[in-house]
Amino acid sequence: MEWIGAITAGIMAALGVWMMLDRHLMRVVLGIAVLGNAINLGVLTAGRFAGSEAAFTFAGQQVLDSANPLPQALVLTAIVIGFALFVFALSVLKRTHELHGDKDTDRVSQVTERPAPDQDEEEPYPPAEDRKP
Amino acid sequence: MLISLLGIFINGLCAPFVWRLAHRHAGLLLAVVPAASFIWFALQVPEISRGGALFESLAWVPALNITLGLRLDGLALLFALLITGIGTLIVMYSGAYLRDHRQLGRFYAYLLIFMTAMLGLVLADDLIAMFVFWEATSIASYLLISFNHEKAESRRAALQALLITGGGGLALLAGLVLLGIATDTWQFSQLQSEMVQGHALFPAIMVLVLIGCFTKSAQFPFHLWLPNAMNAPTPVSAYLHSATMVKAGIYLLARLNPTLGGGTGWSTVLITLGALTALLGAVLAIRQYDLKRMLAYTTVTVLGQLTMLIGTNTSYGLQAFVLYLVAHSFYKGALFMAVGAIDHATGTRDIRRLSGLFTLMPLTGIAVGLAAFSNAGLPPFFGFIAKEFKYAGLIEMGSIGWTVTVVMILTNALLVAAAGLIFLKTFLGSPGKLSHSPHEVSPLMWIGPLLLAVGGFGLGAGNQWPEIWLVNTAVQAIASEEVDVGLYLWGGITPAVIASALTLGLGTVFYFKADAVRALANRLGSIWTFSGDLLWDKLLKRLFRFAGAVAALFQHGSLRLHMALMTLVVSICVLFGMLMMKTTPFDGHALSEVSLPGVIGCLLALGGAAGAAFMAGRLALVASLGASGLGLALFFVSINAPDVALTQLMVETLTVVFLAMVLRRMPVVPASGGSGAGANIWHAAVAVVFGLAVTLLIMTAVSQPLPGDLADWFLVNSLPSGYGSNVVNVILVDFRAVDTLGEILVVAIAALAASTLLGVGQPPTAKPRGLPEFSSLMLRQGMRPLAAILFLVSLAILWRGHNLPGGGFIGGLVAATGFTLLIVTFGRGIQRGLARIAPPTIIGLGLACAVGAGLFGLAAELSFMTGLWVAPFGVKLGTPLLFDLGVFLTVFGSVMHMLRNLIGRAV
Repeated sequence: MEWIGAITAGIMAALGVWMMLDRHLMRVVLGIAVLGNAINLGVLTAGRFAGSEAAFTFAGQQVLDSANPLPQALVLTAIVIGFALFVFALSVLKRTHELHGDKDTDRVSQVTERPAPDQDEEEPYPPAEDRKP
Repeated sequence: MLISLLGIFINGLCAPFVWRLAHRHAGLLLAVVPAASFIWFALQVPEISRGGALFESLAWVPALNITLGLRLDGLALLFALLITGIGTLIVMYSGAYLRDHRQLGRFYAYLLIFMTAMLGLVLADDLIAMFVFWEATSIASYLLISFNHEKAESRRAALQALLITGGGGLALLAGLVLLGIATDTWQFSQLQSEMVQGHALFPAIMVLVLIGCFTKSAQFPFHLWLPNAMNAPTPVSAYLHSATMVKAGIYLLARLNPTLGGGTGWSTVLITLGALTALLGAVLAIRQYDLKRMLAYTTVTVLGQLTMLIGTNTSYGLQAFVLYLVAHSFYKGALFMAVGAIDHATGTRDIRRLSGLFTLMPLTGIAVGLAAFSNAGLPPFFGFIAKEFKYAGLIEMGSIGWTVTVVMILTNALLVAAAGLIFLKTFLGSPGKLSHSPHEVSPLMWIGPLLLAVGGFGLGAGNQWPEIWLVNTAVQAIASEEVDVGLYLWGGITPAVIASALTLGLGTVFYFKADAVRALANRLGSIWTFSGDLLWDKLLKRLFRFAGAVAALFQHGSLRLHMALMTLVVSICVLFGMLMMKTTPFDGHALSEVSLPGVIGCLLALGGAAGAAFMAGRLALVASLGASGLGLALFFVSINAPDVALTQLMVETLTVVFLAMVLRRMPVVPASGGSGAGANIWHAAVAVVFGLAVTLLIMTAVSQPLPGDLADWFLVNSLPSGYGSNVVNVILVDFRAVDTLGEILVVAIAALAASTLLGVGQPPTAKPRGLPEFSSLMLRQGMRPLAAILFLVSLAILWRGHNLPGGGFIGGLVAATGFTLLIVTFGRGIQRGLARIAPPTIIGLGLACAVGAGLFGLAAELSFMTGLWVAPFGVKLGTPLLFDLGVFLTVFGSVMHMLRNLIGRAV
């Protein structure tokens, strides 16, 4: 089962990266979600799928064969954080679309980056000495 | 000493408030503390003049043996008096000069902080503490010079000053560290001359320290910044030039003279560069028409001469150094302030337009006259004595001294001419034509220059007083051996007197032939202008271009290239690391059995992801992604992780909602792989390598037995110490609660940031309004109870989460899903029930609950986040439950906040 988990995580990670390398910002955002899922799966798998029961310990019962609770706790919060960050990416996508419309990932930064207003490329400042009356 | 340092500093911090309250009188009020410091320092004069020294010390970085040691000896006292005394006058003066400036409060703050730094610099006995103050003066002067920051020229001048003095500061730091290593002490007072000069590092120390001092004190070829610093308001120039900043380098040279000086190398460098700087400054000064700029260049001259005098190391030379230092501080402070007053009164500083001001501004005129005479070195002013001693000191050196003396006679003659231009040309003669009629300035503006100018006169005429009280101890502090100090105005016909007479004569000639001299200087000067300031601009431009080119290599602006490179590097590192480990990844050691639901889940997850990766469209992509997530949830169930599966399920639901809401306004995405065959192969290769790395990494990891017994510890301790059966939940809210606190904080911050972006375009104060997505009466009627039920369910999930699957995260997500139903039905303007509370308030409440739960532990004198339990009426209650409530509220509030901003058509 661990191997299946590992292979699934690997393929999903590859798909996620493939999506993040796409020209369309929308697919990049979806790629973030896929890659996040892949990594969550990977973390769980690395914690082994030992045990035949979920990690619950009830009073009077002997703990025998439970799943590893630690990676589960880690992944649980990771899923929620991943969701919050995914929505953030989504809102960036929405805003980019509203502002630029152009979702080619390599052109967004060209559109958005502008030089500082008072920096003139050619002649930064008049030399102080030449300014005299 | 510490108190006076701290006092001035706090005074500086309070300055903006004082100014806001007192406005007109702020200058006087703020001058009180520096004045008090001045008086305190003045009271120490008798003690110090007997040869004593005051110590105060404060352990600062004990581990590195760095203390904030303050030591008041003759030299420090002299400087401290100048800094606080002139500083007091400057503070009062700037109140009048910048009276209507809207940022005067800020100006006071800068000025007083600068004063603190300068005072600390001269008082510090520790090398590193001195250096910190040294850098602080650089930064404070940067702020002061760029005070008129709307002007590009001011910014340029400030940056130039900062870069030059800051760069020199780096060299100085290196030099001081080497000095500390060589002598094994970090105290100025314990430096041993023999130890340093015999050390192999001595040449390096000397060069580095000299670079630091020369940049600060504007010695050739670093003098560029000083004239440009004229762009600062006049009070700043007056202060920078007379008593502070540029004198810092001179101070350090003098301070280290007993340690580093004495050898030929030290003397040669100091005398050569000092004399060169002096001559250059004088030549440049004479060609100026701007009074302020002329003064600035004469400062360069004086600094050169001071450097040179330290280099002589003769008894007359060192006496002359101290005398000249004091004389210059007095007359330069006076002249700058007076020029500011002239500028204020007439609106110009051009000497071609100014003349005959004396009748109009008599008091300023007297101040300028006295100061200019001192500047020119006429008897009986203090400047005269200084000049006499200077010549005497040089002549004492023998043949080299004579050569330098000739250069100095020329230099000083130019200074005499400059002084003449400043006073005679401006104040005497018939009144010139001005745009508006000048008037005498307010008392605060003439009192400073007049006091300083009269002081310069008084010190010269009654020269017994400074000799006994000040000069003697200061000279002893900078000399290697005892020096016999005796000041006099007239010492008979000596070579020095002849040199003085020559200077005056030549100076008079220069004054009357000013135009010819200026023409000559112009011819020389144009070469210098070209090679100096212009070169600096070019250098800076090249540097920026180079930095830009380097940055462009890495910051190319292509997201895809960044991604590809990063992924590739990570994958290669991982693969290489596994290659080094030499373990086989396919060791089937104790693997769990394959389960059918798990395999189906995996296939679903893969299929969905592949669909999202390759298909075209919008809804198809959303659906694929949703399927992928559901498959994953199924897989989580199969590996006995119900909590994770539930979370995944809720998150997937919300993801689909969010995606659908955003994507409906987006164009259709074409199928992937449209970037050309080459790019496709390259991207596919990067993706495959990364996938391979991930798979192999996990396989390698699971092939080894699980190290440690962490899992067992949690399983065993969950019920007895956490009072919870759901081990995953107990880990989240009890054992690792601080981690969880950090995580919900991330969620909250991401939600706030995303909401801002999502809600762009709506006025922040207006109540959220919007039409519902699906407006239908049936839906409205049906939805209300459903949402209420969902909310109750979410509370139940929260409550039972400690023992059964559930908890704050899942509960919060379920509640958010219920809210989603409400908001799509009723629109974003929904104002019912819980929705009446603003989502950020809910987030804040949640975080407060979580942190508050942690504080109970602190209150019980246990560590933060320790779980505490009570059991009233048999119901087990504890801080972890409160914490879980915090998680619930934070997650719910976050999702609600984002949804509110996303959903609903704007009205």
